[in-house]
Amino acid sequence: MEIKEIISSGLLELYVLGMANENEIAELNALAAKHPEIAAEIEAIESGLEKYARLYSVEPAVSAKEKIFSEINNSSSQINYTEPAAKVVSMSYWKYAAAAAILLLIGSIVLNIVYYNKYDAANKNYEAAVSEKKNAADQLAALEESNKEMKNDMGVIQSKYSEPVALHGLAAAPDAAAKIFWMKNTTHEVYIDPSNLPDPPAGKQYQFWGIVDGKAVDGGLIVITKKGDKYRIQKMKNFGNAQAFAVTLEPAGGMPQPTGDMYVMGKL
Amino acid sequence: MAGEYKYSEEELVLCLQRRDQKAFSYLYDNYAGALNGIICRMVEEPQLAEDILQEAFVKIWNNFSQYDSSKGRLFTWMINLTRNLTIDTLRSKGYKKQQKISKDENSVSNYHDKNYGADKFDTLGLRKQVANLKPEQKSIIDLAYFNGYTQEEISKEMGIPLGTVKTRMRSAIMELRKMLEYN
Repeated sequence: MEIKEIISSGLLELYVLGMANENEIAELNALAAKHPEIAAEIEAIESGLEKYARLYSVEPAVSAKEKIFSEINNSSSQINYTEPAAKVVSMSYWKYAAAAAILLLIGSIVLNIVYYNKYDAANKNYEAAVSEKKNAADQLAALEESNKEMKNDMGVIQSKYSEPVALHGLAAAPDAAAKIFWMKNTTHEVYIDPSNLPDPPAGKQYQFWGIVDGKAVDGGLIVITKKGDKYRIQKMKNFGNAQAFAVTLEPAGGMPQPTGDMYVMGKL
Repeated sequence: MAGEYKYSEEELVLCLQRRDQKAFSYLYDNYAGALNGIICRMVEEPQLAEDILQEAFVKIWNNFSQYDSSKGRLFTWMINLTRNLTIDTLRSKGYKKQQKISKDENSVSNYHDKNYGADKFDTLGLRKQVANLKPEQKSIIDLAYFNGYTQEEISKEMGIPLGTVKTRMRSAIMELRKMLEYN
């Protein structure tokens, strides 16, 4: 009943013609949403009036369309534009966004695993390389040290001021031998090459002596740096004057006077 | 325009919401004549009419997000926009609605001869039919639809009580619809 009254009132016509006031417009929007008959009647009025308007069409100037398009493509006329389609597709937009996010997450996890493995392998390689490098450096340092010692040895042997004295094996060790290089006329430094002495027994050490005026004078302990190492030419104590040199085997730490077997001896 | 894709109104609205300029071109080709007809009813100077038509279409493009298809047909929205724009433009130029409109009322027949845009149906035959409307019925529709008169203005112009404008409008449009129903 009420719907029919509304339809026949003429209010729908005013609404379509844009003549209704704000309250009437709001009321009719609500009614049209609720009652299909009202919506259908509004549609029929619109459709009739649209046909009527088309009867009085006037073709616009040909240039008008071009001007309109050049104006809408002018950026300044598009400032107020907000994407209306976003509302319509927002559901699927979020679905796609969520799907994309999940794919990105999975991809990220896979990449994390791959890169962690690569990182781990690279790290191990790096550690190995560092350790190799350290070994090489150690070896190099050792070689340099040994080279330096050799040079010192050669310096002593090649010095034109060094007077060599050969010490020969005695009863305790007939095959033993040693060499003295004595800077007799310059610095009086005394060097010994003990490389042909047999290995000393545990707890024992070779001690070097100068025989000065018939008495043994301490010339210092012969240093053994490491078990199995060849003895290097080493500097001993100076003697102002000496007639002979000898080496005895003494308890570790040495003795003020020789007590043990004499291994080698040489006279000047 | 032969062979051109024909949009349904829903498609057209969706495409325009997505800023599809092809759809806008279609919109122009299919509606510019009808909207221009309205403008030419109210505006005498051809240059001013063309300017208003351009402004109307630029507004339709820029404000398309304001169109709500649940509140009516696209054409209704466009014609209301165009009519209001024309009235505002005339007002800003100091024209008085009454003067212009009575002049237009007298010259409506001129537009019939000028019209060559409505090629979609038998324009001439339909116009003859519409001519069978009672003059006061045609007037009340034209004053409101083409000229944007308010109820008060129609009441004054036609010398009828304000309270009857609504019911007169209803019966006039019912009559018009009957005439156009099968076309």
